[in-house]
Amino acid sequence: MQAIAEQKSIYLQDYEARSAQLDEPKWLARLHRHGIERFEAQGFPGRTVEAWRKTDLTPVLREHFVPSGGPGQVDSGLIEKAGALGKAHRLVFVDGWLDPGLSELGNLPRGLTLAPLSEYGERLPAVIQDALGAFIDTASHPFAALNTAFFRDAIVVHAARGATIEQPVVLVHLLTPGADRRAVYPRAVIIAEEASQLRLVEQFIGADEPFVLNCPVAEIVARQGANVDYYKVQEEGAGSAHLGAVHAEALRDATIHMHSFACGARLARTDIYANLIGAGADVTLNGLYLTNERQYCDHHTWVNHKAEHGTSRQLFKGVLQGRSETVFDGLVKVFEGAQKIDARQENRNLLLGKLALAHSNPRLEIHADDVKCSHGSTVGQLDDEALFYLNTRGIGFDDAQGLLTFAFADEMLKPIRLDALYEYERQALFQRLPGAEMVREMS
Amino acid sequence: MALLEIRNLRAKIQGVEILKGIDLAIERGETHAIMGPNGSGKSTLAKVLAGDPSYEVVDGEVLYQGRNLLDLAPEDRAREGVFLGFQYPVEIPGVSNTYFLKAALNAIRKYRGEKELDAMEFLQLIKERAKSVKLDEALLRRPVNEGFSGGEKKRNEIFQLAVLEPYLAILDETDSGLDIDALHSVAEGVNSLRNEERGFLVITHYQRLLNYIIPDKVHVLLNGRIVKSGGKELAEELEESGYALFEDAAA
Ligand SMILES: Nc1ncnc2c1ncn2[C@@H]1O[C@H](COP(=O)(O)OP(=O)(O)O)[C@@H](O)[C@H]1O
Ligand SMILES: [Mg+2]
Repeated sequence: MQAIAEQKSIYLQDYEARSAQLDEPKWLARLHRHGIERFEAQGFPGRTVEAWRKTDLTPVLREHFVPSGGPGQVDSGLIEKAGALGKAHRLVFVDGWLDPGLSELGNLPRGLTLAPLSEYGERLPAVIQDALGAFIDTASHPFAALNTAFFRDAIVVHAARGATIEQPVVLVHLLTPGADRRAVYPRAVIIAEEASQLRLVEQFIGADEPFVLNCPVAEIVARQGANVDYYKVQEEGAGSAHLGAVHAEALRDATIHMHSFACGARLARTDIYANLIGAGADVTLNGLYLTNERQYCDHHTWVNHKAEHGTSRQLFKGVLQGRSETVFDGLVKVFEGAQKIDARQENRNLLLGKLALAHSNPRLEIHADDVKCSHGSTVGQLDDEALFYLNTRGIGFDDAQGLLTFAFADEMLKPIRLDALYEYERQALFQRLPGAEMVREMS
Repeated sequence: MALLEIRNLRAKIQGVEILKGIDLAIERGETHAIMGPNGSGKSTLAKVLAGDPSYEVVDGEVLYQGRNLLDLAPEDRAREGVFLGFQYPVEIPGVSNTYFLKAALNAIRKYRGEKELDAMEFLQLIKERAKSVKLDEALLRRPVNEGFSGGEKKRNEIFQLAVLEPYLAILDETDSGLDIDALHSVAEGVNSLRNEERGFLVITHYQRLLNYIIPDKVHVLLNGRIVKSGGKELAEELEESGYALFEDAAA
């Protein structure tokens, strides 16, 4: 307990030192203050907090992560990755600092606002101010609280009523060795107005060496009839910790498709909250995690059906190698009166490493009687019979493993509706497959 | 040199001896049939020859083109030209039949130092072979065996045989569960592939397939041993008298 109390005060001290220097609008200062208060009220979660029981935060608690003080040197490999998704409206942040040179903000189409908060000064539109920090649950998520206390410059993404944004918006968060033992707090607020359409990728990449604490938060609102695709690609360096949260709010007849691709960081966790608050809302949460060595990768989801005629689909798949450990923990909650909803939740894990460990905990909590809900989970190895069958056709052991693993994972890539991202994730998948060369040639 | 020579082969699964000393020789160009009741060890023999790691060979040897077959990994046996048509073909979700066969064919060609086929050549080949065994072309795009009917699965095995062109084809009950039309086209497929070079080991429970694929030799397998070998007339004999006739010999 002693240690935890001490941790709290360090982050509070950082906050106080920082807020003394900042000259920011009152409402924003209030939001930051709210964040640190929420953090102070809970501290870092111990193993007794149910939602954090399996997440071993020891390496994070041992360090004191001061907020990143400026951008570090970016190597060419990372720059290439930052541009890998091709034509896009792109904002690139280096160690939490906007890099205008790497960003591409030319030719923003009518109906799309994409800008850092700092550009607005005092004249922030109410719709953005009202949404920022309005949804994410800082009371029960200490890292979202820390983000709220410390985020520097939130990213504002706004699609106007009826606008169809053709090109994807890509937010790149890049971590360099300069951010070693620093904390980065990326923050995005994404608003799709009535009947608008928006596709967005948040890409987290980084060098392998630094131990960065990265705590991103994204809040997404899809208003009536809006259609939002949100892709999160977490491919950070092998030494980092990524503790993020995404909150999605779907209003009447809105559709939100989320896809989480996670293969980076030493310790990674993404908590996804989806509220279906308007009738007929439709939310999809997909995930693919690929882990190796001693990586830990965790997805927690909370899908709240608060209105009738909602649909939610969740499918998370994991491919585990080495001694890696993964968690999928999902709760689908159907509130009273949320009749005629259709909710599915599934988690499937493929263990390639004998010492790998996959935890799976899909849960349902139903307070309405006329609903269709299903959930399930599997943890298994490659089918020996299928491997042998492939072998008898001349396909070697590694290639057979690669082929079957690719087929398992590809189901999660197929629904990606951005060709460049599909190709990007496929390449990331190939890099981690046994016998990848053959699989790559073949597909 | 025989194409395949099995000498005193004994094999176990989960500690239980199933094959209790098999001797069998197949020359190039020959078709042999193995008949026997359920549980006699027919599939065990087929799987051991193909290299299924769940079986343990405890004694004996198998020479294939003069080489020790049992020393080879299953994929290398395939690359050397051994093919097993499975009694129960395996479903491979997410991998299309076309993709799977291309991987197989190119792995085999690469091993043999032959040029890999390009996409056009390959497509042409599989279309032609699919036609020759009357496999519905739509099945080429579907995941391997997934949702195939029993007959389609068996036909798919013969189709793979036609594409991969092995030197030794072991067909494990490719006839069971087939209607007469399917039986015809499977037999036609096999017959069209018979030639001077290629040997077939056709495993069957019933004599009827052997009306269409006329074997050079027939062996009766009972309780892990070959209890009788003879010409094609042996199959007819079996059809009339059943396996009971041989049970004394097996005991
Ligand atoms: N995995 C296994 N474990 C134990 N016994 C097995 C296994 N597979 C097959 N057997 C036994 O081996 C014997 C031969 O089986 P099999 O070769 O499939 O016969 P056939 O193909 O002639 O019907 C049977 O008695 C069967 O029960
Ligand atoms: Mg059998």
